[in-house]
Order: sequence, then structure tokens, then C-alpha cells
Amino acid sequence: MAAASERIEPNARAERPPRDSSGMRTLLSSILIIAALCLLWEGLKNFSKSVDYALTVGETTIDLSLFNDTQLPHLGDILGAFSEPSQRNGPPLYAMLLENALYTLWAAVRGFFIGGAIGFILAILFAHSRLLQRGLLPYVVASQTVPILAIAPMVVIWMGRAGALEWSVPIIAAYLTFFPVTIYTLRGLTSIPPTALELMQSYAAGWWDILVKLRLPNALPQIFTALKISATASVVGAIIGELPSGIQTGLGIAILNFSRYYNQSPPRLFATILMAGLLGILFFAVIAGVERLVVRWRAEAAS
Amino acid sequence: MTSIISIKNLSKTFRGADGVEVHALENVSLDIQEGEFVSLIGPSGCGKSTLLRMIADLIQPTNGQLTVNGKTAQQARKDREYGFVFQNATLYEWRTVIKNVELPLEIMKHGKEERRARAREMLKLVELGDFEEKYPWQLSGGMQQRVSIARALAFQPRLLLMDEPFGALDEMTRERMNNELLRIWTAMPEMTVVFVTHSISEAVYLSSRVVVMSPRPGRIAEMIDIDLPRPRGSATRDLDQFFHLTSRVRHALRQGVGLGIDE
Ligand SMILES: Nc1ncnc2c1ncn2[C@@H]1O[C@H](COP(=O)(O)OP(=O)(O)OP(=O)(O)O)[C@@H](O)[C@H]1O
Ligand SMILES: [Mg+2]
Repeated sequence: MAAASERIEPNARAERPPRDSSGMRTLLSSILIIAALCLLWEGLKNFSKSVDYALTVGETTIDLSLFNDTQLPHLGDILGAFSEPSQRNGPPLYAMLLENALYTLWAAVRGFFIGGAIGFILAILFAHSRLLQRGLLPYVVASQTVPILAIAPMVVIWMGRAGALEWSVPIIAAYLTFFPVTIYTLRGLTSIPPTALELMQSYAAGWWDILVKLRLPNALPQIFTALKISATASVVGAIIGELPSGIQTGLGIAILNFSRYYNQSPPRLFATILMAGLLGILFFAVIAGVERLVVRWRAEAAS
Repeated sequence: MTSIISIKNLSKTFRGADGVEVHALENVSLDIQEGEFVSLIGPSGCGKSTLLRMIADLIQPTNGQLTVNGKTAQQARKDREYGFVFQNATLYEWRTVIKNVELPLEIMKHGKEERRARAREMLKLVELGDFEEKYPWQLSGGMQQRVSIARALAFQPRLLLMDEPFGALDEMTRERMNNELLRIWTAMPEMTVVFVTHSISEAVYLSSRVVVMSPRPGRIAEMIDIDLPRPRGSATRDLDQFFHLTSRVRHALRQGVGLGIDE
């Protein structure tokens, strides 16, 4: 009985390689890394405290006050801050952060889709027109050398004048997200094995068929790489976009507020930063999940 | 008989990025009749692929005339007169086997059911009926090449252009593929095959005519009619006539400075 099932196993595997094992390994190793970082964090704090925040090596004294409780709170205190009220008589911090995170996420998602669509359309135009590519691609690249912090207030002013202030944050996020989509998609659309293209020519296929049946599927792995970058970038863009927006909600606003009151309670700022990080990871993971569903042939071939 | 490919004084000169000209082909003339199986053989770089690609209108000649089925090569390509089989199978990795075979039919706007049925029929023909839903990476090299042959045949072209389709396969698999190809060609009496190869025995075994080419510049050195009896099989390779023909091809190659030739 056992022998029989063992003989069937390898065949079943050859047909559909196990997908979960690599996922499990990734999860396990990231848990290990997080655990190691936590140990390092607490270890450094403990060590610094034990030497009274000043380490003397020979002649020089190194200032370790960075690791005291007001600069770098204990991890326990940061986690604890989530359940404490965010302000006097207010709801617990986690509820307040969750509400703000959802607000920021909604802006990031809108920015993600706007930027993704613009990036995608630009890539398709560039893939089909050398002229457009030569003329416009340098500006696309140059656009990313202008700091987002310089662009953000302008966008807020423009959108305010246009009576669409609620779109200013998504547009700032889109500014960060369209670029990777353009670059990666363009590369995926154009880096086609020569014979794969000649096959299409031998069928006298038109540009639309070549786009839909060859270029786009060929580009999908790269498109998803771009979308994963854009997912996290859109959260960053939304948080930065909130700062000059005059809006009262969002993780960016929370970061601004808690940094103003940092001396009273450092853990709250750290908790907010943690929340922002988790939001980016969550968005990234969603896109990675969609990728597994769409890029089937690769997901199976890789494992 | 009508000639399906007619080539007169065809030349092709490539100009490299450094401005150096390569005379890949010079004054090549060749007529191929409907229903023939013609092999092009010659040392590496003698312009076999170049000739085949010009017939397929994938590159354009520098000089000379070329008609395919009485039309310009471009018109013939637009009319989907030929199927092309590349050295590497060139399957689309995101498509299952059957979807790969359906690809030309999709582009040629055949209906969904007809596509399925035709693709299925072609996969049966190359004996891959059980592999419809596999992805290309799940198949061996020989199986992948069979899928690409099924794909080339799916829209029933009258002309099959093959550029070293079995070059990457081991000897045993190659002989099996040769037999399959002959079986398919015999089943479609009007189909013409132009077949590029490096292997003398493969060329002799398959063809009704072997075109021996010589390099620098690429020219036709000799044409040898292969009048071996059909149907051909493993016994064919043991015939005296087979030895005789292979050595004739070998001599023709040597005279044209035969380098890089295997059997
Ligand atoms: N796109 C190109 N640009 C420049 N030179 C080329 C190009 N394609 C082919 N050539 C040159 O033309 C000559 C003939 O090439 P071709 O590929 O037709 O040879 P072949 O007979 O198919 O060789 P092989 O047996 O190695 O495939 C070679 O010298 C090659 O370097
Ligand atoms: Mg070649």
C-alpha cells in the first residue's frame, strides 16, 4: 500500500510541480530574518544600556544614546502602543491607524491604476513607434529625477484649482508608479526571440495580432515585476502626497502628527511606520498572488 | 507539372554593421515542382537559411527573380502559401500544445470549433494526441519539434519550408522524425517540402532531389535526383543505391570545399 502510493507520487509531481514548497521556504526564511532583526534590535539596546550608552574603545568614545528608549523604543512598547488610545479618550491606536491606512490605501490603489494605465499605454506606443520612443522616452526618464516632494505641492495646487482636490494624492502616487510600468513593459514587448516574431510574419499577422498573441504574453512576467514595484511605490507616493495636501486623514498625516508629539510618546510614530510598511507589503503580496494566477506557465516551470 | 518555386539568378548581399559586404548567395537558379521533396545541403555559411528565408519573404533578395506559386514571395506570404519550421521549435511558452497548434488558425480567423478539431487532427498526425493540454516545457525536444510541424501543417499550406528542423535531435529520434515526416508528406500528395539539413544521409533518405551548395559566395554546386524506391523505410538505408547516392552527395560537397559536414 505504502509502496504503491510512493510510486505514484513522482509522476503526479512531474505533471504539476509543487508550488507551495518554494512559498513555504520564502515565508520561513522571512520569519527567520525578522526574528534575527528583532534580536539585533533588542540586543543592541540591552548592550548600550549596560555600558551606559557610551562605548570607549581605546582613546575614542562612541555615543550610543541612539539606542536609548526615547530614540529607539523597545519592540514590546511599539506593539503595546497599538492597543493604547491614540489620544486622550480616543479609540485605540490600531483602530485609528487602520482607518487611516484604508484611506491611504484607497488613494494608493487609485494612483496605482492611473499610473499603471499611463505606463502601459506609453510602453505600447513606444514599442510601435521609434519616433515617439526617441522623442518622449528621455522625458519619461527625466521625470523621475525630479523629486516627488517638489512635484507634490504643485499637483495639490493644480488639482485644487481644478476642483478635484481628492484626486491630488492618487495623481502624486501615479507619478511614481507609471515609470517602472513603462520601462519594464517596453522591455517585455520588444525583447522577443527573433524566430518568434518571424513566425508571426510567416502568417502575415497584423500588428494587433502580434501585440495580443506575442508581445503582451511575452511581456507579462516583466509587467508583473513592474506592478510589484509600483504597488509599494504607490503607497510611498500616497503617503508623501498627503503631506502637502491639506487633507486631515491618512497615514502620512498620522506620521506628521506623531512626529510632532514624538517626545511624549515615541512608540506611536514607530507603530505608524510599521503600519505603513505592512500596507506596502500587503499590496505587493496581492499583486504577487495575481501574478501566480496569470503567469501560470512560468509559475509551474520555475518550481 | 507546375513549378511551385521558381528562382532565377538570385543574389543576396548582406552589409554588416562594419560596412563589410557578405555575398551570402550569388546567381542561384532553381525550379521546384509541385509535390517534390527537395533538400538543401552544404557547409555552414553557404546560404541555405538565406535562400529559405528569401522564399519565405522573411528577407528580401538583392538581385534576381523569385516566384512562389506564380506570385511574388511577398504576395505568397500574405496569401499564407507556406508553413515554416524553424530549427528550434519556437513554441509560445504561454500556450498549451493545442493552443500553439491553433495559433495560425486564430490569426487566419478560423472558427473556434474548426480550430480545435483541426489542431486535434494535426496532433494525432504527429502522434501527440495525449499531450494537448501540456505546456511546451513539459515536452522533450523531439516532441516540441513535432508540435511545431503540426502547427505548420494546421492551415494546410501547399508548401512546407523547414530549416534544419531535426538538427538538435539525437540520431535515433532524428530517424524516427524522418519517418514521420515522410509519412505526412506521402499522405498529402500535392505538398512540396524544401528541407535544409547538414546530414547527408537524412537528405538522401528523405528527398526526391538533393541540392548541394558551396560557400563563398553561396552557389548551387550540384543537383542530384534521388530515385530510391518509395515507400522508404529502414531497409532503404541498406540498399547499395543508398550508399551510392550518399557518396555522390559527399563528393559534390567535397568539390565545393565541404567543411563542417556530418552524416
Ligand atoms: N542578417 C545577416 N547579416 C549579415 N550577414 C548575414 C546575415 N544572415 C546571414 N549572414 C551571412 O550570410 C552567410 C550565409 O548565412 P546562412 O545563415 O544562410 O548560412 P547557412 O548555410 O544557413 O549556415 P548554417 O548551416 O550554419 O545554418 C553567412 O556568411 C552569414 O554570416
Ligand atoms: Mg542556417
